[in-house]
Amino acid sequence: MSGAAVGAPEQAAASRSARKVILLVLQGLVALAGLVILVGAITTQGFFSVDNLKAILASVGFVGMVAVGMTVIMISGSFVSMSLGTQAAVSAIFFVWALKFGVAPAIAMTIAFGLIIGSIQGYAIGAFGANPIVLTIAVVAVLEGMVVVFSSGGTQTPPNGAYEFLNDTILGLPMSFYVMLGVVAVAELIMRRTTFGRQVYMVGDNPLAAFVAGLPMGKIGAGVFGLAGVASAVAGIMLGAYNQGASLLLTGSLTYDAIAATLVGGTLVSGGKGSVWKTLVGALVIATITDLLLLRGYSTGVQIMVKGLLVVVVVIVVHLRSQGTRS
Amino acid sequence: MNPAAIKRFLAGGAPFFIFGMVLLAFLLVPFYSTEQISDFNAFNSLQSASSVGLLALAIGLSMIAGEFDLSTVGMYALGGMLAVKLGADSPLLGVAAAMGAGVVVGAIQGGIIAKLGISSVPVTLGGYIALLGLTSVISSGESVAYENFDVGISLDQQTLTFFSPRSLIMIGAFVLVAVLIRWTRIGRDLRAVGGDRRAARAAGVRTDRILVGTFIATAVISALAGALLSYSIATAKPDPGGAPLVFAVTAALLGGVTLAGGKGTAAGILAGALSLSLLQEIFVIVATPDYVSDLVLGGLLIIVVAFDAPRLKSRMIAMRSRAASRRMAQVAMKELKQE
Repeated sequence: MSGAAVGAPEQAAASRSARKVILLVLQGLVALAGLVILVGAITTQGFFSVDNLKAILASVGFVGMVAVGMTVIMISGSFVSMSLGTQAAVSAIFFVWALKFGVAPAIAMTIAFGLIIGSIQGYAIGAFGANPIVLTIAVVAVLEGMVVVFSSGGTQTPPNGAYEFLNDTILGLPMSFYVMLGVVAVAELIMRRTTFGRQVYMVGDNPLAAFVAGLPMGKIGAGVFGLAGVASAVAGIMLGAYNQGASLLLTGSLTYDAIAATLVGGTLVSGGKGSVWKTLVGALVIATITDLLLLRGYSTGVQIMVKGLLVVVVVIVVHLRSQGTRS
Repeated sequence: MNPAAIKRFLAGGAPFFIFGMVLLAFLLVPFYSTEQISDFNAFNSLQSASSVGLLALAIGLSMIAGEFDLSTVGMYALGGMLAVKLGADSPLLGVAAAMGAGVVVGAIQGGIIAKLGISSVPVTLGGYIALLGLTSVISSGESVAYENFDVGISLDQQTLTFFSPRSLIMIGAFVLVAVLIRWTRIGRDLRAVGGDRRAARAAGVRTDRILVGTFIATAVISALAGALLSYSIATAKPDPGGAPLVFAVTAALLGGVTLAGGKGTAAGILAGALSLSLLQEIFVIVATPDYVSDLVLGGLLIIVVAFDAPRLKSRMIAMRSRAASRRMAQVAMKELKQE
């Protein structure tokens, strides 16, 4: 999956000592930001209330599931899928439509749907080396067009309320949070304990070696994006249930939020390093900062901007660190 | 035709051939539908290519340098917003502010990418998110109207039958970049940096400067594109959505730029952008619903990126030889049975 990072990583122009200084400064910056957040949290009224902490946990449910898929993709060296958010929304539409066959069949059908959509993309990326970013950008356009063909673009509404149990709360937290934990656990297990998981890390670490060693690149690619498709489909199921209907608007900023969580979780951009549970930590960090900004009355724009800057800083820190350990 | 031949074809005259085919399809519209075509349709397709065409030029430039600047769409949004907010009295000031912001953003991103040797995709992705956030901060998350309607009207005035000042600015930008790439050292160095960076550095190319310059150019061009669009529609939107990116990437790839870097020309990218906008105009004339255009553009991008894929060729050769050996085995089996 070499086509991922356009522009091969290469020797940096800056000298090693300069990089160390930059790394120190940035790490100092991150520590300082952490301090600011802590002080902000202590001085912000209502931050440490049980309700607010619950709200933070609840808010990572949907993005957490999509981010699981994103993490597996990044570990495999394909960097990102630009289509996972759209896939979640399309899965939600599909799920709500399929509810007329009953809840259990609808869930099964939606998961199969996500698996198929994901693995087709993954096969093209793994077997042919198609550029994952551009391919998935194209998939967004195609999926959006197809949704309009099949549902004329309107909001799909469920035929009855049989699915409502998906919106139950347990111990004050929504079902989607527990489902997300389940997705994280299963993905972590697959990545750590199965041959497939180890192969994914291998392909990400050195795609050329994996290719030469005769690993089935097409199958691994299909598996990686298939897994991401399933995770997005589960997110779609919960999204459709939560919104009591579904349209393409559900996509929102899901794709970018998932990428941000994956990067902030310390996944190596070029692949081979990272883990699903660390991404969950990344998602929680972002959710905490967003919540804090919200409580302090900052606009949505500021929240988005901080997220973007956080991504850039973490990407640089992780990059410099990985280079430090290699040389 | 084998994939290698198709690839060579795509890289060479193909962009112009494709444009010729689309032009032919456009001219033949009266023969396969009940609709007529007019000069105005040609004018219109140039108009729609004006903003997204510049975006294609920006992304294409980053791809020639072997990088991929995702922040262009963010700069497109920010440029449009700055132009509207700061250009209320003087539209030129608005454009200057947008392009000035482009210089700053490009220098920061290019500096990080060149000096630290990080892949451009994650950096510009963070940049994209941050720029959209900044745009939303400036606009309080709302679309902002541009009261100075005259600017848009004069920018979009039909001149020389097919053109408008806006599309002429777009073409001017392409000509400028084409001249720089074709006739100066910058162009050669740019391709060298995109093709084989280590070799380029060993050969004495100042790769850092080229990279930083490229990212400044992509941001400035994107900002200009956004500013022109805002003036034209007298509104700046905080989030342009995904469609401009799909158009720009497809146009660049159709224009003969490759994702591996080192290849591509400004003329090719222009041909790619014009092919797409003319294709969209045909859809408008024959009144196909919007989603068809979405599907065709997305499908086209999938096809182009598949041909760009490095392992497609070896795959097909492997498949062919496997099929051949299977056939031989069958023949051998048959002969054995006959005996």
